[in-house]
Amino acid sequence: MLSNVSEYFRPRTVEEAFTIMESDRDHSIFLSGGTIVALMESSRIERIIDLKALRLDTVSLKGDELVIGATTTIESFRKDNLVRKEFGDFFYESLSCVGSWQIRNMATIGGSIAPKLGWSDVSACLLAVGANLMVYGADGYRRMVLSDYFTLPAGEKPLITHIMISRDGWLSAFKKFSKTTFDIATVNVALSIKSESGRIKSARVVCGSRPQYPVRFEVVESALEDLKINEVMPSIVRSLVFDNFAGGSNMLASFEYRKHLASVMAQRAAERIMEMM
Amino acid sequence: MKISLVINGKDHEIDIDPGQYLLEVLRDLGYKSVRRSCNSASCGSCTVLLNGAPVLSCSTFAVSVDGQSIETVEGLSEGDRLHPIQEAILEEGGAQCGYCIPGIVLTGEALIRENPEPSDEDIRLALNGNLCRCTGYEPQNRAIKKAAELLRSDRDD
Repeated sequence: MLSNVSEYFRPRTVEEAFTIMESDRDHSIFLSGGTIVALMESSRIERIIDLKALRLDTVSLKGDELVIGATTTIESFRKDNLVRKEFGDFFYESLSCVGSWQIRNMATIGGSIAPKLGWSDVSACLLAVGANLMVYGADGYRRMVLSDYFTLPAGEKPLITHIMISRDGWLSAFKKFSKTTFDIATVNVALSIKSESGRIKSARVVCGSRPQYPVRFEVVESALEDLKINEVMPSIVRSLVFDNFAGGSNMLASFEYRKHLASVMAQRAAERIMEMM
Repeated sequence: MKISLVINGKDHEIDIDPGQYLLEVLRDLGYKSVRRSCNSASCGSCTVLLNGAPVLSCSTFAVSVDGQSIETVEGLSEGDRLHPIQEAILEEGGAQCGYCIPGIVLTGEALIRENPEPSDEDIRLALNGNLCRCTGYEPQNRAIKKAAELLRSDRDD
């Protein structure tokens, strides 16, 4: 039990939720899926602001974008018919290795992004498909690129309401290395490639659990442009990731081990993309 | 604060603290099949079905499921008659210390409802979040498969 919790709010609008949070940010926390909040065991938390009544749990197609409500659970997102129609097996397969079935039934897409967790498989996959966020903050609603969310100043904590993604001709694959199938990633890599005339037109190379939050390796992406797509392409991806890896060490892995793992995961992701072509 | 829960089809009105977890509330109500083990969303012993989907009651705030339907193992058997998954686990030697079994039974039940003909791979993936330190999972995999077959044949009859 979080013994210091004395107030529970169930706001009906995003504006109301944000206002309640702002009235005592130091002692309040948003509750989406609850998997992170429940494990915090923090005596600081006195007020829970449950986001469920906001009804941000749907996936819809608007124009050429999929719009995902932030409180959509990981399991319902990965199994959603629209998501599978637009992205094939990418999210269905990739997010099947997030925690367990139970956790995926609880944890939400927005809740996986908001704490800026380094090991978030969801964040890595969304970065690889060029996701944008709709957030609500002190200045109202605004749209932002997902990577910009990770670098917001510490004091700026808008509420994520929607995630927008578009396939737009990209092929994507995700690979994760963890101690067990249940565990958080020691390293994860998500790769997206757009091709033209048998060559890579553009690439997104994302590495997470570095151990910091996931980032795109833009040097690798630039180096991959115009590369011929053939049987040696995956090994070139591996070498580029190895040479340009940016990360560190923690209790899960050293920098050197991570660099090696990331390069191998990148190669496997490239091989998976070649299978789709 | 007051919440209402429908547990195994029975209505409950309960006074809770807003920081209380579903696991604590269920055990206080006498649903002792819901087990506390890791208490950190890692072992699956506390699994219950929330509106039919397996979730971890150790990390679900009770207040957040106000008005919703919860199933525990107590709701599966009918009197002395065990549910086919429970029966199959006994027959296949899937229960040794037994601590993890309620969670595994509920996860298996949710899987069979969603996929009446699960493959070995489907069962392994579904049980990914239910730790068992005794059996190595093979008897439980066999039991879920056996129960699924039985339930399919009952449905077809």
